[in-house]
Amino acid sequence: MDTLQRIVCDWCKGQNPTDRRTCTTCGAPLEADHLVSDSGWREAPRLRDMTEFAFGISTCQVEGEIVPVAELSLGAGDHVYFEHHVMLWKEPAVRMSVMPNNGWLRRSLAGMPHVISVAHGPGRVALSRDATGEMVVLPLHPTMELDVREHAFLAASHQLRYSFVRIKGLSNMRANGMFMDRFVTAGEPGLLLLHGNGNVLERTLKEGEEILIEPGGFLYKDSAVRMQTERLPIRTGFLSSGMRMARMTGPGRVGIQSMYVHRHTG
Amino acid sequence: MRTLVSNSGWSELPPVPDMARIQCGRSHCQIEGTYVPVIDFTLAGGDHVYFGHHELLWMEPAISVKAMSMRGAWTRMRAGLPVVMSIATGPGRIAFSKDLPGEVIALPLDAGNAVDVREHVFLVATGQVGYDYTESGIWFVTGQGNDAKTHYPLGRFLDRFSAGSEPGLLILHAHGNAFVRTLAPGESICVKPTALLYKDPSVGMHLHLEYPSGTLRGWSTRLQNRYVWLTMKGPGRVAVQSAYEHFEDPREAITRFSGTRHAW
Repeated sequence: MDTLQRIVCDWCKGQNPTDRRTCTTCGAPLEADHLVSDSGWREAPRLRDMTEFAFGISTCQVEGEIVPVAELSLGAGDHVYFEHHVMLWKEPAVRMSVMPNNGWLRRSLAGMPHVISVAHGPGRVALSRDATGEMVVLPLHPTMELDVREHAFLAASHQLRYSFVRIKGLSNMRANGMFMDRFVTAGEPGLLLLHGNGNVLERTLKEGEEILIEPGGFLYKDSAVRMQTERLPIRTGFLSSGMRMARMTGPGRVGIQSMYVHRHTG
Repeated sequence: MRTLVSNSGWSELPPVPDMARIQCGRSHCQIEGTYVPVIDFTLAGGDHVYFGHHELLWMEPAISVKAMSMRGAWTRMRAGLPVVMSIATGPGRIAFSKDLPGEVIALPLDAGNAVDVREHVFLVATGQVGYDYTESGIWFVTGQGNDAKTHYPLGRFLDRFSAGSEPGLLILHAHGNAFVRTLAPGESICVKPTALLYKDPSVGMHLHLEYPSGTLRGWSTRLQNRYVWLTMKGPGRVAVQSAYEHFEDPREAITRFSGTRHAW
């Protein structure tokens, strides 16, 4: 076998030895065809049950397919952070701490966790969300920035800096808008795990290309993609003045989820 | 692909392969994903589809969207149905999805054909398919006088979709798996009201209350056990979904109802 030959992963562009069936960086099946719709949306790779991949000195194994579990085996000194309610189980040896955030009161009032939990290796910790869907593995290279909708982030490795912004008005579910998490890599690559409800599709917009997305379906975007609130001339009830959509303008990736929750619509 | 049929005669709707394309006139749609499938329409210039606004996932800015006028907006709102539906006109692309895991059902309607659909199951239909709604006729009343309350186990209304002079395409979303069965003339079956997906207009239906033996009759109605069924009578197709909402029986004495009852 030629040791210089490599298979490039279609999803994360990571390089893999030719005998690998799944990508070592993101777990995507290497021999499976990536499904792309006529309109340019490609499906997130369906991770095989028990797929394992590495990040830093730790590993992640994806278990189950309907509501997948991310089981992280953390190396000594490595740590990951997440919202505390996604924690499924952990080994007693895994030390826990919290990452304080500015604006905790606003987050609390909006139903967001006001602190982020941090799990420190060595040891194992397992995380899952509470909805049918897909896990999206996004290895982030240095200087990358990714914006993620509220309650979609499952875990992030410590190399990623975390902040959040509130987007006013961008919601058909609640009049007060939504929070958007922002993950930025510093000098080293990091790993971000998301949970998309239903199926997850991604599309890369060209410079200036535009698309309108229902805010509940938005999952993530490169920070280079501009997002603006737009009102469609569709009344959703007697007293409503129109339906809000998110106008995304390229360049960059946009991810959507096919199952979204409407709690208070007209 | 082989159709899977149970011993009792229910056919599983064949799963739509991921990225399958369905042609409808000059337009076509593609079905993406398998947990919560997305219907991605590519509309030709002048072609249109209509939908409830909850179902819109994304669209190209070139698509023109406007409200579809509907009769009885106040009644619909009180019955928990969408007050307005929307029309999207091509050229361009637009995509829809429901917010429940399940299957997409593509029902091509030949000219002159119609189908009755339970509320909240409809996803999108092409412009050739006409829309109307009728009283379901499935109800019972608890209490008397000022305390009288009417309950609608199936929902107050049924959606009716019909193709006029041209064939059209109707897309529904089933929660869980979908099964269809063709009833012979006079053949009957009881189904849970919230499990019904659609039926041919030729299939009759009525409410059926069933009281099992062994319950404390004559005591408080709260201790009585009863089952609320929908009796479907052929000829024609009946489709059900495997994941359905639980109908909350009020556990009060029924003073009036629209169908039949049987005590074992």
